[in-house]
Amino acid sequence: MFVGVDVGGTYTDAVLLDHEAVRATAKIPTRADLLESVLEALDIVLKDVDNKDLKRIVISTTVITNLIAGRKYDKVALLLIPGPGLSHRYYDFKTKTIILTGAIDYRGREIVPLDEKEIVAALSELAAEGYKKVGVAGKFSPRNSAHEKQVAAIIQEKYPDWQVELGFRAGPQLNFPRRAATTYLTCATREPYRNFVNSVRQALEKRKISAEVFILKADGGTMPLDKSVEQPVETIFSGPAASTLGVQALTPPDETEVVVDIGGTTTDIALILNGQPLLSAKGARVNEQLTQVHTLAVRSVPVGGDSLLELAGDEIVFRPERLGPAYCMGGPAPTPTDALRVLGLTALGEEAKAEVAMEKLGAPLGLSAAETAGRVIDLIADSITAEVEKMFLEWEQEPAYRIWELLQKRKVRPSIVAGVGGGADGLIPQIAAKLGCDPVIPPYAPVANAVGAAVARPTLQVSLRADTEQGYYQIREEGFQGKIDKRSFNEQKALALAREKLLERAADYGLAVTPDEIEVTYREVFNMIRGWDTSGRLYDFTVQTPRGITCRIEKGGK
Amino acid sequence: MSMSNASEKPTGLIFFPAFDWAISPTHPEREERLLYTRDQIFEEGIMDLPQVSEYTPVLATTHDIAMTHFCVPRVEDQVTEAHLIAAGAAILLADEIVSGQIKNGFALVRPPGHHSMRVVHGNRGFCNINNEAIMVNYLRRRKGIKRVAIIDSDVHHGDGTQDIFWHDPDVLFISFHQDGRTIFPGTGFTNELGGPGAYARTINIPLPPGATDESLLYIVDNLILPVLSDFKPDFIVNSAGQDNHFTDPLGSMRFTAQGYARLTEKLRPDLAVLEGGYAIETALPYVNMGIILALAGLDYSAVLEPDYQKFRESADLAGQVRRMVDQLLQRWAKRDQVSISQSDMTGNYFQHTKRIYYDTDNIQENQLEKLRLCDNCPGYLSIETKANHGYGQTGGKALCLSIPIDACASCRTEAADLYEKAKKARTYSYVYLQDKSADLFLGYDTANGKEWRSEGS
Repeated sequence: MFVGVDVGGTYTDAVLLDHEAVRATAKIPTRADLLESVLEALDIVLKDVDNKDLKRIVISTTVITNLIAGRKYDKVALLLIPGPGLSHRYYDFKTKTIILTGAIDYRGREIVPLDEKEIVAALSELAAEGYKKVGVAGKFSPRNSAHEKQVAAIIQEKYPDWQVELGFRAGPQLNFPRRAATTYLTCATREPYRNFVNSVRQALEKRKISAEVFILKADGGTMPLDKSVEQPVETIFSGPAASTLGVQALTPPDETEVVVDIGGTTTDIALILNGQPLLSAKGARVNEQLTQVHTLAVRSVPVGGDSLLELAGDEIVFRPERLGPAYCMGGPAPTPTDALRVLGLTALGEEAKAEVAMEKLGAPLGLSAAETAGRVIDLIADSITAEVEKMFLEWEQEPAYRIWELLQKRKVRPSIVAGVGGGADGLIPQIAAKLGCDPVIPPYAPVANAVGAAVARPTLQVSLRADTEQGYYQIREEGFQGKIDKRSFNEQKALALAREKLLERAADYGLAVTPDEIEVTYREVFNMIRGWDTSGRLYDFTVQTPRGITCRIEKGGK
Repeated sequence: MSMSNASEKPTGLIFFPAFDWAISPTHPEREERLLYTRDQIFEEGIMDLPQVSEYTPVLATTHDIAMTHFCVPRVEDQVTEAHLIAAGAAILLADEIVSGQIKNGFALVRPPGHHSMRVVHGNRGFCNINNEAIMVNYLRRRKGIKRVAIIDSDVHHGDGTQDIFWHDPDVLFISFHQDGRTIFPGTGFTNELGGPGAYARTINIPLPPGATDESLLYIVDNLILPVLSDFKPDFIVNSAGQDNHFTDPLGSMRFTAQGYARLTEKLRPDLAVLEGGYAIETALPYVNMGIILALAGLDYSAVLEPDYQKFRESADLAGQVRRMVDQLLQRWAKRDQVSISQSDMTGNYFQHTKRIYYDTDNIQENQLEKLRLCDNCPGYLSIETKANHGYGQTGGKALCLSIPIDACASCRTEAADLYEKAKKARTYSYVYLQDKSADLFLGYDTANGKEWRSEGS
């Protein structure tokens, strides 16, 4: 049996899955203590279960989001090695930042060496200001991490108790500013996150739960609890990933769907294209900083069932704030929920109160309660639909760098609008109608996020880059470098090497992966010509364990 | 990253490296060309800057091509999808600039185009179709842009662009390049100044090998900017070749990324379009960064090649450049006082013959070009062309008729009559009528008696 737990801002949800059936669900208000929320929800769904039958627990939490939003971490300094390029004055990571001499180029060659004296002086400066956590990030460090490692070695030697995070691990993609920001966040959150992980482990031990525990990532994959400490920031924004995977598990396969999660004051929109959740082309924006954190493509609209409605001139508008519950549920002001109540699209609250709310709102415009409610629903559905259209447009206009990629670009239209979260189910048919889709409220929609967590599967990837002219290959995630023979190395060998490294990594993570399951997700081969002769080849491969969900939910058991 | 001036419009960037296209596997114009540029601009996070807005290209239409080039026998025979994408990228950015979405743009695309002339029988100087010319003609036909200046900063003379706008008084073409006596295509001398109706609207600045940023900035300040200020273009294009770089394997000049960035900053082009540049590791990543930052109004002072140095020019070379600039300024001052040599006249027509060599495809083309001298418009142009594709294989003759955008009724009628007559005469294998004033193209295949047409939508 599997358990999925999703700790959201307002509610914590859990489900117990037995093969393809939901056996138990829980929905509780999220407590100030996240762990407490997890345990309370777990205890509810595990009430009649023998812990020995429990194989896996997947948790999606807001722990990182809360740490970062509340700045609940020690101060972190950044040591950057940008070398030539964009002027350093544009780098503003909202923290103490020192620029170091040194440069690596796009092929990982050192063009300017480090200056050890300068590094020592920078460290004294940080020490004097009381820093004990340092992120070190260099331009092109994923191509050659030697400079970052050298700086780390000096820190270890002089200040062995400092915590050091290196850019090539935290941000292995090509994007130096995002690498620096991601390194900063990793450095800031690792220790408090590790504390969270330890307390989860202790609490489960106390309950004699020995199931494997995984943490959901923003891209819909999972990591074993212990390993998640290596990339804590990857666990941010896992909520929308949980809902999207939930819809994937609860609706027919291979569909193109819009997932709409309408909450109290925000609506999250995600896309499933031909059965696969759409990933964001770039990393997440965290606290106004762009990072390299992989996430699903999610758009948030500041509107929900409890949004405040008011008049602006002779237009009805919604405001992003929440004054309280809907008027029909004893709140102070008209909300979209009142509109839904008036039109009979929800059973929440008192009908008479909803009528009053809509009447008051529409009176200055000479509208009846029903007319006002109609306008409100139209307005909300329109703004959500507009965002959905923008998402499709953005996806269609994502840059392509190869002719075949550009030519195969095509328009994909959704066939289903799936509503989850239960915030305002009544809106889903309206949105679907505007998009020409079928509205679907899947079974277990209120806990679809927990279902999504339960069916999420671990993903691991390995990126190999080989430069035969320089005679080496490297594994980006590990900063590992090995020699290759320039003449005999070829594409098959590159791929075999990448696969082998992935299997090693999987074994280290305790994941059972067979070689034929491995997917090649990125493949780039370039002949290097110098003069008129081939002087070498550049190979760039990314291989990963299969993405997707462990099962679909076919039947309910409850 | 924190940025000032967030209210200003961004620079539009299309990066299309065509990683799956090459002229041949070891050709300079191959898949790998923009690989390290990709690495550099991605690693710098350029696309994340609020001052830069990345676009994905669209394909130009065959009609867009046909309104600039006479492709023999047809557009489809001379262009691949890669060419349509490169030209389409330039058009898309130009559209966004004219409509005010972006403040300027850079089509960092390949394949290049500035050696492609009006008539296209094949590839010359790595080019099949002229991206800038196609874009400029699009703006003039469709967006009401009248006066355009094109500044070509490639090490090779932009002979294709020169050919296309030779007779056009509303398109100013300025090319500075390495002296044609020392490099392909062997043209671009100071006496090449444009047709009788567009005298000095073509300006060539052949630079001695070894010229540095110093001479580059001298000609910009003392020749190009003053001429631009007289000409008052509605739209400025930079054919941004990067092979004047001190590390380029084909050129012998000594410009740096700083020089290119400074050029861009001074020139303030609306749209820059990549042309040549084959020092793919040592120049392109840095020069492209410099151009992007300069267009976006960002500090580029730290964009330095690993082996950057401030090159020194000999006094001799500098003096040579100064004298040439003076001479060209005098010609520019007298631009409206040209008299046509009577030997070039046949009745009311200005005519001359041209031999054009296609180095990539080894084609020898012979042209007889006739311009109708008209008091009311720039006059229509007729080109009789015949190509010898090597190994004695000779194509038939083709007749190309081009009606300018602001043509008078009499020129239009005469060209249209000529087209109909040529169709019947069977002297030509192909007959074409390119009517820019009506946004209409007609082509006729004499062998099968079939006509095709395309119109702007």
